[in-house]
Amino acid sequence: MQVTVEELAPVARFSLRVRDKGVAAVGKALGLTLPGRIGERADRGDLTALCLGPDEWVLTAPEDARDRIAADLAAIYARAPHSLTDISDREISLRIAGPAAATLLSIGCPRDLDRLEPGRGVRTLFDSATVVLWRDGPEAFRMDVWRSFVPHVRPLLEIGQEELAAGL
Amino acid sequence: MLLIHCPYCDETLPEAEFAYAGEAHIARPADPMATSDEEWRDFLFIRTNAKGPHYERWRHVHGCGRFFNAIRDTVSDRFLMTYKAGEARPALPAKEGAE
Amino acid sequence: MSRYRIPGKGRVDHAAPVRFSFDGRSYTGLRGDTVASALLANGVHLMGRSFKYHRPRGAVTAGSEEPNALIGTSRGKGRFEPNTRATMQELRAGLVAESQNKWPGLGFDLGAVNDLAYPLFSAGFYYKTFMWPRAFWDRVYEPVIRAAAGLGRAPSEPDPDRYASRYLHADLLVVGAGPAGLAAARAAARAGLRVTLVDEHAEMGGALLSDPGVVIEGRPAWDWLAATLDELRALGVRLMCRTTAIGYYHQNMIGLCERVTDHLDSPPENAPRERLWRVRAARVVLAQGAIEKPLVFDGNDRPGVMLAGAAQTYLHRFGVLVGRRAAVVTAHDSAYFAAFDLADAGVRIAVLVDTRDAPPAALLDQARRRGIEVLAGHSVTATTGRLRIRSVRVNRVRDGQVAGGRAIACDCLLMSGGWTPSLHLFSHTKGSLIWDEAAQTYLPGETIEDCHVAGAGKGLWGYGAVLADGDAAGVAAASALGRAAAGAAPAVAHDRTGSGEALRELPSDLAPSLARAFVDFQNDVTAKDIRLAVREGMKSIEHVKRYTTTGMATDQGKLSNINGLMIAADTLGKAPPQVGLTTFRPPYTPTTFGALAGYHRGSHFELTRKTPIDPWAEEHGAVFEPVAQWRRAWYFPRPGEDMEAAVARECLATRASVGIFDASTLGKIEVAGPDAVEFMNRMYTNPWTKLAPGRTRYGLLLGEDGFIRDDGVIGRLADDLFHVTTTTGGAARVLTMMEDYLQTEWPDLRVWLTSTTEHWAVAALNGPNARKVLEPLVEGLDISADAFPHMSVAECRVAGIPARLFRLSFTGELGFEINVPARHGADLWRALMAAGAPFDICPYGTETMHVLRAEKGFIIVGQDTDGTVTPEDAGLGWAIGKAKPDFVGKRSLSRPDMVAPGRKQLVGLLTEEDDVRLEEGAQIVDDPDQPLPMRMVGHVTSSYRSATLGRSIAMALIENGHSRIGEVVHVPMPGRTHRARITGTAFYDPDGARLKL
Ligand SMILES: [Zn+2]
Repeated sequence: MQVTVEELAPVARFSLRVRDKGVAAVGKALGLTLPGRIGERADRGDLTALCLGPDEWVLTAPEDARDRIAADLAAIYARAPHSLTDISDREISLRIAGPAAATLLSIGCPRDLDRLEPGRGVRTLFDSATVVLWRDGPEAFRMDVWRSFVPHVRPLLEIGQEELAAGL
Repeated sequence: MLLIHCPYCDETLPEAEFAYAGEAHIARPADPMATSDEEWRDFLFIRTNAKGPHYERWRHVHGCGRFFNAIRDTVSDRFLMTYKAGEARPALPAKEGAE
Repeated sequence: MSRYRIPGKGRVDHAAPVRFSFDGRSYTGLRGDTVASALLANGVHLMGRSFKYHRPRGAVTAGSEEPNALIGTSRGKGRFEPNTRATMQELRAGLVAESQNKWPGLGFDLGAVNDLAYPLFSAGFYYKTFMWPRAFWDRVYEPVIRAAAGLGRAPSEPDPDRYASRYLHADLLVVGAGPAGLAAARAAARAGLRVTLVDEHAEMGGALLSDPGVVIEGRPAWDWLAATLDELRALGVRLMCRTTAIGYYHQNMIGLCERVTDHLDSPPENAPRERLWRVRAARVVLAQGAIEKPLVFDGNDRPGVMLAGAAQTYLHRFGVLVGRRAAVVTAHDSAYFAAFDLADAGVRIAVLVDTRDAPPAALLDQARRRGIEVLAGHSVTATTGRLRIRSVRVNRVRDGQVAGGRAIACDCLLMSGGWTPSLHLFSHTKGSLIWDEAAQTYLPGETIEDCHVAGAGKGLWGYGAVLADGDAAGVAAASALGRAAAGAAPAVAHDRTGSGEALRELPSDLAPSLARAFVDFQNDVTAKDIRLAVREGMKSIEHVKRYTTTGMATDQGKLSNINGLMIAADTLGKAPPQVGLTTFRPPYTPTTFGALAGYHRGSHFELTRKTPIDPWAEEHGAVFEPVAQWRRAWYFPRPGEDMEAAVARECLATRASVGIFDASTLGKIEVAGPDAVEFMNRMYTNPWTKLAPGRTRYGLLLGEDGFIRDDGVIGRLADDLFHVTTTTGGAARVLTMMEDYLQTEWPDLRVWLTSTTEHWAVAALNGPNARKVLEPLVEGLDISADAFPHMSVAECRVAGIPARLFRLSFTGELGFEINVPARHGADLWRALMAAGAPFDICPYGTETMHVLRAEKGFIIVGQDTDGTVTPEDAGLGWAIGKAKPDFVGKRSLSRPDMVAPGRKQLVGLLTEEDDVRLEEGAQIVDDPDQPLPMRMVGHVTSSYRSATLGRSIAMALIENGHSRIGEVVHVPMPGRTHRARITGTAFYDPDGARLKL
C-alpha cells in the first residue's frame, strides 16, 4: 500500500485562546511553552499544543487527561483570562501515511506540502473543508476534519487511494 | 488563483484559504448615535471603488482566521502589500511586487 | 505492411500492430501511431467533412492545432467523445473512430450541397439572412440552425469514466519539451530547482522527433534526446507527457490537463481518464515552439493538402509517407527540408513552388542535386480532385501579374506559409504582443508574470539558437531563485536554419468571388469572406472575427489568425499591428468537462454535511432536503404516505404527545472571556447584562444596516460564558461577523469565540409529554416546571451521557433541546426513542418544524426576512434593548428610510377558502382589477397546510401590514386570484399557555 487512511480514536481536544501575558501563565499551567509561531507545535509527554493563530492553540491529550487540563486552567483563569473550549467531538482525526501520503493530500489541499515540515501543523483546506493538517513525519500526516465533513472527505480520499493503486 | 501573504502566518499562500472582506480603513464610529444621517450613510455605503491600488480587507479564513489589510491593484489584480489589522494605513509602495 | 509505411522507420513499434476501425472499416496501425498517422499509412487522407460547406477534409497538421481531422472516438457504452483531433489521439487496440459532419457517408454527403451554394454563403450570412419575418424564428430558422450547428454529435449517456485533479508546486514549470524546453529544464534542474516539464504529445522531443538528422553535443538528435531525458529523470525532474497546459492564470498558476488512459488498450481499474493539475510555479518557461501557417489559395483544403512540417513529422515520427508524388508550395525555407527528407525517403517531388523570387542558393543547390524542380517566383492558383488532391495548378508571377498556369499531377501538396510563434499561454498572462516587421509576425513583449518565452516562440529559428535560448532561460530561472547556474548552450551540427516571407492570399488569376481559398478551415472562412467583411464596415479585427467567425472555432485560429490579419490589414490598407490581434483565452485546446469537474460529480458533486443522527434517519426512511451545506431529514413518511400526509401526522403527533427532531445543524458558538457579556451587548439587539447564568434568551442579530441577519436562543452558562445558537445556514456567517467586530473594531475586549456546532449533537423534544419522556433519563438536574422553567439551561447527564440541556421551544409546545458530545448523538437519539415509545414519540423533519413554528408565528431568517427587514418590520421590536447605548445596527434603525411609513411588515394571511394554500413568493395586490402591471404591495413568505388548525396559514410581508390587520388583499396565482385576510402572525395558542406545562 502506498498510502493508508485510518480514522483515529478520539482524544481530548481543546481550543485554547489566550494572549499577551496570559500565554506564559497558561503554558506554565500546562507544563510546556506554548509555541509562538503559527504552525509550530510543542509536546510534553502526550500533551501537544499546536499554534493555529496568533492567540489560538489546539491542545490534544489522552481522554483521561481532559478533566485535569480543564481544572488546571480554570484555576488560573482569574489572573490569566483565556478561553478553553472542549472540541473533542468537533473533529475526527484521519491518519494518512505512506510514501504517497503527500500525493494523496494533493488531490484536495492547495498548499505546498513540501513546505510543511515534519513536526508542524496548519489549518488549511482539503477540497472544500477546513481542516487542521499535521505532519507527524516525512510520510505521515494527520488531518482533523469537522465531523460532518467526514462523509465527504473520507470517500474522496478513498477515490484518491484507488487512483494511486491504479498506478497512473 | 492569487497568492496572498498572510501577515500573521508570515507565509504566502493560495487564495483558496482566504476570503475578501471589503474596503479597509473604514472604522466604525466610536459613538454611532452621535453621527448625522449623512455621516452614518457614508460609513455604511460609500466606498472608494478604486481603479488601481485599493486598500482592502481579507481574512485568512481557512488558516489563522485573522482579518488583515492589503493593498491590491484592481487593474492587475496584484497584491502590492499586506499588513496587520490595526496598523496605520501605509503609503503606496514605490514599486509593484513588494510583499 | 501498408502501402505508405516505410519498414523500420520512425518511432512507432513495427512489431506491434494495432487494430482499429474508422467509419466502420477495419484498419491496422502500429503502436505509437496517432489515428491520423495510421490512416495516412493506409492511404486514407479523407477524415472528415467541414462544418459549413461539408467539404471533404483531411489532416492538415500532425499536432494539436489540427482544424480538420476531428473524429468521434468511443470505447464502449458512455465512452464516446466527439471532436477529438485524429492527429493527437493515439492508436489503441479496438479504438472505434468515426468521421463527423457527414450524412449519409463521408464519401457521399448530402450536406455538400452547401458547397455548391458557396457564392450565397457570404460573410455575415447569418446576420443577413435570418432577419425576417420575425415569426420564422421559432418555427423555421432556429430548428434549422440548431440542426446544422455544432461539431460532431454530443454524447447521450453519462460518462462512466473517472476524472482526477491535483495541486502541484514547482520552482520551474517548463511548457513544451522541444529543444528549448529540454535545455531550459536541464539547466534549471542542474542548478537544483524543482522542475516540472510538460508536453502535450505522447513523447517528449518536440521538433527533434521530426529532425533526426540534427546533431547535438556530438550525438544524433534522438540519442541526445534520450540522454537528456535520462539526465532529467536522474535530476528529479517531473516529466509529464500527454499533458496540455490549458491556461495561464494569475501569479504563475497554470492549468494542465493530463490524458491518462485514452492511449491504453485496457486502462487499469479505477484509473482516471484525465487529470487536471493546478500548478503553482515560481517561474515558468514557455517553450511551445511555433505553428506552421498554411498558404491561402483556391482549393487549399483538399484532402492531401497539408503543412510541409506535418509531412516531415509523419515521415520521421511514424515512418509514414503522406503520398508518393508530392508537390510543395512554400514561402519559407523550412519546406525545402521537408521536401529533401521526403525525396530521400523515396517520394517523388513533382515540383517545389517557391513564392519568393530568389530562394537561398544553398537550398536550390541541394534541390538540384536531388533532381527536384524548383519554380521560384511562382504561385499556386488551384487544385483538383474530389476526395483527394489530383493535381495542382502552378502559375508564374512577375511584378504582381499572374501568368497562365500549368497543372502538375500529385497525390499530396505540402505547403508552408512560414511559422507563427505559439503565444497563446503568454497571451493568457495579458502579456503584450509586439509586431515584428522583419519576421512579419507577433513576438512576446512584456508580461507581469514571472514568465519567460524561449525558443521558436520568441521567433528564433534553427536548433543552435533555440537550444542556446532554452539553456539561457533555465539559467535565468535558477538565478532568479537564487541558485547559481552555469550555462551550457549545446553545440549543434547539421543545423536547419532558415527564413521566409509572410503573405496574404497567393496571387491568382481566378475571380476572387469564386476562389475557395480558406483561411479558417474549421469554420470554413475564406479570404473572400474577410475582404467582404472589411468592405462592409468591420474595421476592427474583433468585428471581423465575429462577423466572419474566423478564429472562433475550437482551434481558436491557431493556423488562421495571422493569415486573417494580413488579409484584413491589406483590405483596410493598414499595417497589421494597427489592425491588431484578437485575444487568446483558456483553454489552449478543447478540454473535457470531466477534467474540469474532476472529483466533483455524483455523490461528490458538492459537499454534503451529515449529522451524527443522519444514519438513523436514513435507516428509518427519511426523505432528505438540502439546507445550506447539510442534508437534513425533511419528513419521515410511513408506507403509503405522501409528504402532506406525513407532515400532517408528524405535526399532530407532536402537538398531541411528543415529537423528536434532529437539531444538530444549528450553529453553536461559545463566547468566553471576562468581556463576554459586553461583547454580547454590542453584537445582539437584546440586553444581556441581567441575564442570569442558567437562563437563556432569544437573541436577534442585525447587520450594521439595521436589517435582521440571524437569530437564535442564547444561554448564559456562567458569568463569562455564553452558548450562542445560530440558524443552520447562518452559522459560519455569524461567526465571521463576530470575529470581524472582535478583531478589527473591539480588539481590546477580552473575549474569544469558538465554534462548537460540530461538537454537539442536538435532539429536540417537543410536545406536552416531552418532560415525561426526558425526566427518567436525566441525572443531576431537576427538570420539573418550577425548578427548570422555560428558557433555562443547565449541565446534567442524559441517558448517562454528559449533556447541556436547554428548555426552550420553537414549536409552542413544552420543549427541550438536549446537547451531547457528537459521538454520543446517535445513542442519545435511540435512548429518547425508547423512552418515548410509551408516548408514541414521533420523529419529525424540517417540514414539520417549519409548520409548527409558523403556527406560532416564529420567523425563519432568510425565509420570512430577506435582508431588508428590520426588527420592527418583523414584529420583533420587543427584542431590542432600548436602553443600550449601542449595538450593531442600532444607529441604522433611526435612519429616515427605516422610520418612514410604507415599510413592508410581517403579518399573517388567512385565505378566505380554508383549503387554498398560497404559493410562497406569490405577490400581493390590493385591487385585482387594476390594469397590468399591477402595483404589488407585498409577497407571501411562508405558507403551509396546518393540520392542527385544519386550514392553510401563511405569513407575508405587506406594506404597512401592522396597521392593516383585518383587511382583505388579493393574491394572483396561476389559474386564479385568491382573497386573503391580514391577521397577526400567531395562529395557534397566541398566549403561550402550552409552554407553561
Ligand atoms: Zn494567516
